[in-house]
Amino acid sequence: MQPTQSSSVISKDSDLEMLLHILENKLQNIIIRLYPDKSGRAIYIEVSPDKIKDLALKLLELGFEHVKSVTGVDYPSENSIEVLIHVGSYLRTLRKYIVIIKTRLDRNNPRISTLTDVWPSSEFHEREAWEMFGIYFEGHPDLRRLLLPEDFEGVWPLRKDFHIRTRKPGEVEPPWK
Amino acid sequence: MERGLERGSVVFVGQIDVFVKKVISSLIERRPVKDIIEWGVMYSLWPVHLMTSCCGVELAAGYAPRYDIERYGSLPFVSPRQTNLIIIEGTLTRKMARVARITWEQMADPKFVIAMGACAIDGGLFWNSFNIVRANEVLPVDVYIPGCPPRPEALARAILMLQDKIRSQGVKREDIELLERYVGKRS
Ligand code: SF4
Repeated sequence: MQPTQSSSVISKDSDLEMLLHILENKLQNIIIRLYPDKSGRAIYIEVSPDKIKDLALKLLELGFEHVKSVTGVDYPSENSIEVLIHVGSYLRTLRKYIVIIKTRLDRNNPRISTLTDVWPSSEFHEREAWEMFGIYFEGHPDLRRLLLPEDFEGVWPLRKDFHIRTRKPGEVEPPWK
Repeated sequence: MERGLERGSVVFVGQIDVFVKKVISSLIERRPVKDIIEWGVMYSLWPVHLMTSCCGVELAAGYAPRYDIERYGSLPFVSPRQTNLIIIEGTLTRKMARVARITWEQMADPKFVIAMGACAIDGGLFWNSFNIVRANEVLPVDVYIPGCPPRPEALARAILMLQDKIRSQGVKREDIELLERYVGKRS
């Protein structure tokens, strides 16, 4: 039996095709790129950081009304931090899809506009991303630590240069890399 | 004394409470009393209810009727004041390590620690994370149980090993001193 091609699986899902079509039409001036993942349930949208608010408003109009998570990925070799925002919906037609917004920030000064005024549910997620990666969300109402203890030493524990057991201070990659 | 001594009576000279203390401390060191203390400690290992992570599910299964560790003389209890065993069930995060230490300091002497799961030994699944504390960094661990998660039988085995340890090594000297001080106050 031939292994099923992922693209053919996706093309069978006419709902996804339609959603992709709608998204492409609505967002064509704002985004850089848009593509579904292999499962056909998640749609990645790449966007530049200054357009993120427009994108958020457009997605809210379409019915994606809550943020599921805000996380980051640190790329010290490329000197950038990627922000990933997972957006979902409780609408019957959209609830099986997740839109993942990807945007790249400068690692030395990661600043991005907050999305709390568009999606209030992103408030705590942004606080977490702030304490773990040091991503500064401009305009956030209450940007302070959320999960870490008050007397935690050091900053940005999920960045690649944070001092852990197998990584000396200042080192970026673990020794086996 | 004022009434004068009758022939054949015994006179105690000195302070009675000092005498009682000395007798008690020498008795506690001796075999029969020491054995009774150890026997009592061995079969009253009461773990405090402090669930730090997913290994707690195995602990719950272990004390449930199917495995029934209670038959070895160990009964899970709630308040740290009324317990003498702390089982670290898996991952100790920085915040939880603080809580575990405070709980341990509140417990009655003599007290024991069992570190359960790979997480409590060396981080396990979360090895090399910024947020993990190994159990022996904050508490004096008596018995380790490897596994992710260890089966309830392993937990029962750990309880038996701890009992063996108490029987062979006795209750720790500082614990006996504490006991002495307590008994001395009461006398
Ligand atoms: S050892 Fe395994 S089961 Fe136990 S706390 Fe760690 S991850 Fe969970």
